[in-house]
Amino acid sequence: MNLDDLTRTSGEWLRGTGPESDIVMCSRIRLARNLNDFPFVGRAGRGEKIEIENSVKSALAKADASLEYLPLASANKLDLQFLVERQLISREHREADHPRGVAIGPNENISIMVNEEDHLRIQVMHSGLSLHDVWETINALDDRLEEHLPYAFSPQLGYLTACPTNVGTGIRVGVMLHLPALVQTKNIDKVFRALQKINLAVRGLYGEGTQAFGDFYQISNQQTLGKSELDLIKTVNEIVPQLIAYERQARQELVRERRQHLHDQVSRAYGVLKTAHTITSEETMLLLSHVRMGINLGLIYDLEIPTINELFIHTQPGHLQKLQGTPLAVDDRNTARASYIRKRLAAGGRTDA
Amino acid sequence: MTCDRCEAEAAFHHADVIDGRRREMHLCLRCAKQAGMVLPNEPPLLPLDAVVQNLIVSHVGELVGELARATCPECGQTYMGFRGQGRLGCPGDYQAFAKGLSNLIGRFHGATRHVGKRPKRSTLDCDRDRIRLRNRLRDAVAREDYETAAGLRDLLRPKDAD
Repeated sequence: MNLDDLTRTSGEWLRGTGPESDIVMCSRIRLARNLNDFPFVGRAGRGEKIEIENSVKSALAKADASLEYLPLASANKLDLQFLVERQLISREHREADHPRGVAIGPNENISIMVNEEDHLRIQVMHSGLSLHDVWETINALDDRLEEHLPYAFSPQLGYLTACPTNVGTGIRVGVMLHLPALVQTKNIDKVFRALQKINLAVRGLYGEGTQAFGDFYQISNQQTLGKSELDLIKTVNEIVPQLIAYERQARQELVRERRQHLHDQVSRAYGVLKTAHTITSEETMLLLSHVRMGINLGLIYDLEIPTINELFIHTQPGHLQKLQGTPLAVDDRNTARASYIRKRLAAGGRTDA
Repeated sequence: MTCDRCEAEAAFHHADVIDGRRREMHLCLRCAKQAGMVLPNEPPLLPLDAVVQNLIVSHVGELVGELARATCPECGQTYMGFRGQGRLGCPGDYQAFAKGLSNLIGRFHGATRHVGKRPKRSTLDCDRDRIRLRNRLRDAVAREDYETAAGLRDLLRPKDAD
């Protein structure tokens, strides 16, 4: 697989379409699976990890899953960073230094990390709010893989995982939400507390412990045992419309009570992005977040959401350096980033087909 | 009151009763953090690892009795090791450490029985003998006992060829 080809696109989950896609960026489900006849990754030796990799590769071929396998043990730092930004591998998978890999499906909807914390971490992502479609895809893929892989499973405890917090269904059902108005009206903490009470976790854009860049938050289940996959999906699915309603309400409140301030903030953000000559990744995320909300509220007309979604990804360090075709130091990155954004926005905000 | 582990002033006090014996712990903030006894102060974006560590420590407490010596016969992981790393060694650990894990699992998930998808084909416990064999193989290689290693490799080979 040529990662440089992927660089120019932005991944199907960033398409910016699908139900409620002004607030729900994407829906994602992952399943943790392990092979019954190997130790978990943390305890497996190098040779065993290679055997695990080979078993999964051969199962993928037999299951005809049309995924392409990328071994990561020899991958360079920039490619690994790129895959993290693309949400195709976790930060932990990037940092590891043992035999491991990732299988990537067409449109980047599917990724299977091999030898992450568990032998397999199967992940499916769709743009917008579409957890049921995601579940159908991942469930079918899991069925096909299971025909060729002896999964570790106990009738009492379900799918056995390296960490007891994932045991049972091994499922994590998540949605990524853009909640700028709840952040601005300082209601976001209330939302977090409410979610924690019903056992849902809130994370930043890039997983556990990361800050919420650009007002993006991932909401997901924590419980994996004692409830069926469909019930766990239902829990997340039922809470999302409420969060969407809160965010819309907060946006209306901003429009009603602080329209001028809001319009000014959005326009300034757009102005800085169009004219800056050096800009950090963090400032970019913040300003893009304002502009994204501005488009959704009809305050900016000449720009489309997919362009903004694309900029969110393309301005990250790994993407930026791949697009420039060369590794860059921080200062040069900030200059290159500003220049890339200026050009992209000057092009009238039209997205590539 | 001074810290149980160093001379600093204790800021963290914990008491529990295990097997009818009351046990107290007084630690300064630094030692308590090292022991994973204090929750990080950022509830909204709580790292899962910290939650797990905290659960392990607060529900298992200091290791006493047989759990302190428990070792998985399949992969050689000790319960002590799990407690330190928060990760199990192999699928067999769920049986080997059932006593220590059931509390933790029940507490974290609010349930102790799986509901939901099941693999269509059943996986066999005898698959897991292979973990034991591989484990012995690794030990044999580590102590440069190549004769034993060769024998173990032969035992593993036919099935791997499937």
